[in-house]
Amino acid sequence: VSAPFRRTAGGIVVRLRPAEAALIAKLADQLLDLLDERAPAAAGPADPLDAMVGLAGPAAEMPQPPPDPVLSRLLPDGYADDAAASAELRRLTESDLVSGKRAAARALRDGLGAEKLPLLDEEQAQLWLGALNDLRLALGTRLEVTEDIPGQLRRLEHNDPRRAGFTLYEWLIEVQATLIDILDRN
Amino acid sequence: VAVSTGSAASGGTLAPEQLERPDQDERSTPDRPWVTIVWNDPINLMSYVTYVFQKLFGYSKEKATALMQDVHYKGRAVVSAGAREQMENDVARLHSAGLWATLQQD
Repeated sequence: VSAPFRRTAGGIVVRLRPAEAALIAKLADQLLDLLDERAPAAAGPADPLDAMVGLAGPAAEMPQPPPDPVLSRLLPDGYADDAAASAELRRLTESDLVSGKRAAARALRDGLGAEKLPLLDEEQAQLWLGALNDLRLALGTRLEVTEDIPGQLRRLEHNDPRRAGFTLYEWLIEVQATLIDILDRN
Repeated sequence: VAVSTGSAASGGTLAPEQLERPDQDERSTPDRPWVTIVWNDPINLMSYVTYVFQKLFGYSKEKATALMQDVHYKGRAVVSAGAREQMENDVARLHSAGLWATLQQD
């Protein structure tokens, strides 16, 4: 059994099997689709002049947290107790947050979709690490994972379709953990 | 933080709305510093959280590990303190890394 990543003198080698690489690339593609849903809302108030002269209006016109639980986990509120301040911060920072996450997911998808798996430098590996983490946040939120996954699995019926999701999720933990380990030892 | 069981937020990623609210009029006292808080969640790995604290804040492995353990076992940790704008920037960087963070006045 070979580890999914290995550090060599020339960089970090990706040793995923073709089917594994294709699977992660597909998940990254789905994440990109999901983040697309948030692109227009992140643009801020519709009329820039209104915003400039302070007519952007009350909370109703401020960007709201995404209704989708996965998106709201990826793009959370900045204040625990202040919806107006959260909306204002979201207006200032969300579009950068979305484009950063998109860039990382694209790097992961394109790298894994290439004919020959790339050799990663430190910066690329960090980008992949962030994207892998976002994939786990998305899948884990959909599955409503807790810190007791074995307990959750015990409560699922044998033929529950979520079992496959949990298997995938646990495999992604291993993949990500290997990369953390490699980056951490540098 | 993922791995073991039974910590404060083990029911899944809590929505911030579910958290205890401080009194509203305590929020804007000008002389109290602002802090960035990282909350426990069941998905982020312990090793990842420690790595992120080192990378984003330049903390030593020891300090980053201690903060990660506070997040994991106590449910939250204050990871930085300072001016409000700085804390908003820290929260944005933590969100970019996928950690669940908020800012508030201490």
